[in-house]
Amino acid sequence: MSTDRTPKYRQEIQQMMFVSGETAEPAVDTTTLIEEIVRQQVVEILARSTTLATRRGVRSISTDDLIFLIRHDKAKVSRLKTFLSWKDVRKNVKDSDDKGGADAADFAAADDPIAGGVAAGPQDVASKPKNKRARVGLAWDVNSFYSVQVPEREDEEDEEEEEQNYATLQRLAAADERTKNMTKEEYVFWSECRQASFTYRKSKRFREWAGFGIVTESKPNDDIVDILGFLTFEIVQTLTEEALKVKEREDREKNRRGGAENGESIKKRKRETGLFDPPEEGRTPVEPRHIREAYRKLQATPNKNIAMLLHNGRLPARMPLRLI
Amino acid sequence: MSLGHHHAWLPPGHLRPPDDFHDARSVNGYPKSFSGSRTPQMRASADADGSHAGGLISDADIASDEDPRIAMFRELYKRSEAKINTLFANQKSAEDALRGAVADSDEPQAKDQRADEPAPPPAPPKKPARKLDDDDYDEYDDDDDEDADASPPAKHKALGWSQVPSSFPSPGRPPSGSMSVGPDAQKEAKKETLEDIRKKLEEDKKATEEAARRSFHTLFYTLENDRDAMLDQQRLEESERQVEAEMSGQASAGNTVNPTSNGYGSLSSANLGASSLTLKNLIARIDMKRSLVQASDAELRSLMSEVRKNRSKWASEDKIGQEELYEAAEKVLSELKAMTEHSSAFLTRVNKRDAPDYYTIIKHPMDLGTMTKKLKALQYKSKQEFVDDINLIWSNCFKYNTNPEHFLRKHAMYMKKETEKLVPLIPEIVIRDRAEVEAEERRLQMAELDGAEESDDEPIMSSRGRKAPGKSSSKKGTAPVRNTPSGSEPPGGQASQPPGPVRSESDVVMEGTQNGFATPPPGTQTPSDPAGLGAGIPGSQGDAMEIDGLIPSSTVLSALPASGVESEDPEYKVWKQVTKKDRAVIAAERHRLFKGDKLNSDEPALLRTKAGMRRWLRNQKQISAEGDKARESTSQGMESRGTAETLAEGIEVDEDRVIPDYYDVMSGVPDLPAQLVWQEDSDGNIVDASEEFLRVLPRGSFTQPDSKLARKMDANMRQMQETRKICSKVGIVKQMQLQSQMYQNQFQKYQPEPFVEQDVPAHVMNDGGPVVSPWVCRAALQRSVAKIFYHTGFEEYQPSALDAVTDAASDFFQKIGETLKSYMESPKVPATDSAEATAAAQWKRAYTEPEIVLHTLSSVGIDVESLESYIKDDVERLGTKLSTVHDRLRSLLSELLRPALADGGEDGSSAFHDGSEQFIGGDFAEDIDEDFFGFKELGLDKEFGLATLSVPLHLLQNRMYNAAQAQNTSAAQAVTLFPPPASYPRITSANLSSQIGLVQGFFGSKLQTTNNEPLVEDLELPPKQRPMAARPRLPASGKIPPPSGPSGPTSSPSKRPLPPTAPGQPAAKAGGSEPSKKKLKKNSGVALGAADPAAEGDEAAAGGESSKAAPGKTMTNETSTADANVKGEGEQGAPEGAGVEKHAPTGTGMVNSTSNTTHLNDSAVALPNGTADDAS
Repeated sequence: MSTDRTPKYRQEIQQMMFVSGETAEPAVDTTTLIEEIVRQQVVEILARSTTLATRRGVRSISTDDLIFLIRHDKAKVSRLKTFLSWKDVRKNVKDSDDKGGADAADFAAADDPIAGGVAAGPQDVASKPKNKRARVGLAWDVNSFYSVQVPEREDEEDEEEEEQNYATLQRLAAADERTKNMTKEEYVFWSECRQASFTYRKSKRFREWAGFGIVTESKPNDDIVDILGFLTFEIVQTLTEEALKVKEREDREKNRRGGAENGESIKKRKRETGLFDPPEEGRTPVEPRHIREAYRKLQATPNKNIAMLLHNGRLPARMPLRLI
Repeated sequence: MSLGHHHAWLPPGHLRPPDDFHDARSVNGYPKSFSGSRTPQMRASADADGSHAGGLISDADIASDEDPRIAMFRELYKRSEAKINTLFANQKSAEDALRGAVADSDEPQAKDQRADEPAPPPAPPKKPARKLDDDDYDEYDDDDDEDADASPPAKHKALGWSQVPSSFPSPGRPPSGSMSVGPDAQKEAKKETLEDIRKKLEEDKKATEEAARRSFHTLFYTLENDRDAMLDQQRLEESERQVEAEMSGQASAGNTVNPTSNGYGSLSSANLGASSLTLKNLIARIDMKRSLVQASDAELRSLMSEVRKNRSKWASEDKIGQEELYEAAEKVLSELKAMTEHSSAFLTRVNKRDAPDYYTIIKHPMDLGTMTKKLKALQYKSKQEFVDDINLIWSNCFKYNTNPEHFLRKHAMYMKKETEKLVPLIPEIVIRDRAEVEAEERRLQMAELDGAEESDDEPIMSSRGRKAPGKSSSKKGTAPVRNTPSGSEPPGGQASQPPGPVRSESDVVMEGTQNGFATPPPGTQTPSDPAGLGAGIPGSQGDAMEIDGLIPSSTVLSALPASGVESEDPEYKVWKQVTKKDRAVIAAERHRLFKGDKLNSDEPALLRTKAGMRRWLRNQKQISAEGDKARESTSQGMESRGTAETLAEGIEVDEDRVIPDYYDVMSGVPDLPAQLVWQEDSDGNIVDASEEFLRVLPRGSFTQPDSKLARKMDANMRQMQETRKICSKVGIVKQMQLQSQMYQNQFQKYQPEPFVEQDVPAHVMNDGGPVVSPWVCRAALQRSVAKIFYHTGFEEYQPSALDAVTDAASDFFQKIGETLKSYMESPKVPATDSAEATAAAQWKRAYTEPEIVLHTLSSVGIDVESLESYIKDDVERLGTKLSTVHDRLRSLLSELLRPALADGGEDGSSAFHDGSEQFIGGDFAEDIDEDFFGFKELGLDKEFGLATLSVPLHLLQNRMYNAAQAQNTSAAQAVTLFPPPASYPRITSANLSSQIGLVQGFFGSKLQTTNNEPLVEDLELPPKQRPMAARPRLPASGKIPPPSGPSGPTSSPSKRPLPPTAPGQPAAKAGGSEPSKKKLKKNSGVALGAADPAAEGDEAAAGGESSKAAPGKTMTNETSTADANVKGEGEQGAPEGAGVEKHAPTGTGMVNSTSNTTHLNDSAVALPNGTADDAS
């Protein structure tokens, strides 16, 4: 990574961090560092998915390739699926006119007019409400076990999804908590921040930034870019949350030590949250070292990846980059 | 003194005398007298056998002391001797001719003496006695004495002997006895103690070795000292080589001074050293016939030397006593050198570079190497010189290293102690030149000639002088004793005696000094033997004292620590001491195997030896014996060793190394497993023990054990198979909708087989433990992997993929196994960490079993949660997902098959049961006020009470219908359970009369039109020529045009022709005449029933049920007799119609019944048709 590169997403990152729980204004260093990390991750994601696509014999990346890369993080996959389905809904709503029984063709294509007319095929097509979000099927789902496409029903999989969305709900709850006492202006700002994205309406900038054309083919699918936008947001969020945890622990440690060293007074003052205590926003922002520590933690190689190297296996000098 | 030592050091070839009489003899303590008086006698006998009497007399006293038993032996011997002598008497006389005069003169003398005093008679017996008593070396000497000169006395020997007890005056005896016994006892005691000490030393040594040997089993000594031992040993060898090299030049010159000037000496006088007894007689014989032998003395001697074994390198012809002294000295020296631990500093001369001032302080340097050189150069004349040199080394060391803490002092101290222990083992011998001795002898002989009675009849003495001390001292010791009481003895004898002793005394003086005894001045020694005795006693006493003083230390040393030289573990020291040499050798061998840091490939391969293995086994046995009995173990061990060695005999040389087994790793013999032991029964047949050890491998070793998880996974897989079946049906249905043409075998039936895990066939193993059969295990693993694959959704997979995953899995499990193992093998920890708990600390495993498992899992990156979530998500939830998918697919299929019955249950079957017939009937038709078939216009609805007039749409799916026809046709043709009855004969004019009367007219008119040709049934015509061949066409309006006539055949939908063998045919025909809703229903039913097999393959619940329903409906309405048949069969099949395999019978049943019906109906239908035709 070239260090002279000017940060391009400072504001977005700031907003994302704000949404993720960072209340103070992070320094430029911090955002730049985060940006670099995110960029590295994006490049890695692109490279790997390109490899996957090549293995399939296709030149361009598909959404499945991207999802495959993060398949182990079920919660994230689930969020991504939700995201995609809503995106689909949006698109469908937009061009709902020409949505027809495209997939009904399978069923209704009988040459006998009578039989074709009564054949069951179009039923589910017809039954699908226009604005009902489509499910994003994954290649490794149960549905793909069979040669026949399994018709969908509405009443299933909800529980599973809910469970997988637990983390999302937690986030939403936290956000809810934070916005509870907000004024209208603050909330507007908040919702603006929520919309922050690396890709939304700036796909050209993103493409340049992420090095499309170098890493992979230059004209990526719209979906791909959207997914990457989603993933980059996730990366920033994860990093920020982790860094906040690191910082919190550091502060706690510092307080404990400080209290022990400086005597009672400080401790006392700390304890009672007085009128004139600095507001929450006045806290010190996350610093690059916190980010670094968070990144280090996230990059730690789990035992599982080196299990095969246990006995008289040789650890490679460098483990592959882990996707956050 | 001397003899004792010799026994201790005897080379193996030597024979020990049967009893130790020389010990009992008081005289042995008198070395000074022996060489003096003895050697002359020998010479004398060699020259002339003149001095018998003296010897006899002197020996007589000893004889008196002796045991009666020995006396008896003696007499026996004497008798045999006498016989031999008489045998040789003739030659003897000739041989003795020249010296006859001397002998004669001697004889009278002797006789005189015998006459004078009682002593002479016992003399002859005494001689043999000594022969028996003495060392075998001497015996041949005695022998030829006997041969040479005993023949004359032999005659009166027998007489004389009987006199002995009686003739000895008792009064004379007691004093002599008391006199002699006193000092004798004293000496004997000392002698004994000396002997004891020596023996004890030996035994102690043995004991320490034994102890060390035993300790091998109880202690493990590390090998790190071996290198030191090896280096020490190398140094020792180096120094020895050096000495050797230096000596090689001089040695030849020094050793070969061998004057062969003896001329015709008696052969036996040749110093043959340690010759064996076996040679004795030979030599005696040769000596006897010396004149007949042409060879020179020297030649004979060299011959004898060659024949004789075990001649030591020190033996010398002209140095008397050298062999014994040097042998002992060399042993002591090498013993000292072998104590490499302490001796290494003294092995070589002190280097000036190491100690520049050494030679200024030490004027007379000495070291063991130099001593060896001196020894080899034969520079030592006596024990004393040797001992002095040794002591010089130590004293030099003490002198130079004044610091009491100096380590060399410790070594020197130790060595000194060792020296003190070893020195007594060297015999007190002064080496003398043979020439000198001979000269002496001659002189003595001269004297003997003067006083013949004094001269010993012992003729020849071995030059070795060992015998000599015994004999001469006996003479010396006893002579005075005898002399004192018996004052009546003629002075001549007395007078003649002194000269010998006197001269001998001069030797003795020399010897005495050499021996380190207080050397009595020659003068005092000469006449007074008591004085000599007195001198001898203190000497020996001193010796004894020395040794006494040593005893404590030696005993302690045998346990070996205490001397304080080094404060080491005593056992360890013993160990080091005892095994040093062997260890050094082994270490050197080991060392040789390496070249630098690498194995030396040029070295010969290591081979185990039989001897080594035998030794190993023996030791094992010994240990086990020791385990049984703590104390007697050694003796037992020795016994077992004995037997083992007898086995070993003659196979290989079993060099006994004092080294524990673990040094000899090559020789270890593993225990035989019990089933391989070679056993024989009483008949000598081999008992095959293997059968007792055979076992059958329990079943299920290679199948998945039954468990909840396994059952769940199996259920999931079954579910998948079921779902796949449905999928295939759905695919077929879709395909049929798309395709215009069907082929019989276009669709492969999806007929999955349930998974069954095959176990290995019954397998017999001959030992415990798991089956080690990599390929079988791998196959089992592969199957499990494949199962998981299937469970994950793969229906089939490439073998290479399966192999790859199997390999990965086996690797992974190996890692898990290794991790588990390392956790299990971690060293145990004290069970309780509280110190006070128990002294006998209990030990427990470092990890409990759950801990081990958890640790292992975590180290391979798995935790219990992930395992649980796998089971929850990937097995259980998958199960529910699969079942919902299955349901959905089923409903999809049923929708496909019966599209209109969307809400009629899953497969639409309930639509028939719940009474809601409007769907089937096509209620909507009524709603839209359509009359598709014109039923209304026909008035059929009124006639049959039809609720609706519509036809279900799926009836019109003729594609499926056709397919069903095709399927059913083949099925019907394939299986004809009942042969169709013979067709009715054609109606001719001949059989017209047999028809029923009503139709006879009709048939008659028909026959008339055909000119009495037999009437042809419609069914016999080809389809096209049939009256109703034309297919009804629906007009474009979709309305069935109103019939032209009340029963317009062409316009009626029932005119629709059906294939002749189709099951629906009769119904259709019947429907033609009676178009009704029920007919249609039946048709639909049949059509569906027929379609089902085509669409679904073997199993179709819906089809089955519809087929069940269809005949049912038909039957209820049809009243013809033929239908009873259909009904019966149809109902039979109906309840079971849902089953897969039921389908075929049902189908055939239907077909058969319909064919029956067809026939009946044909006749029935033909008529209306006929009438209709006529009518039209």
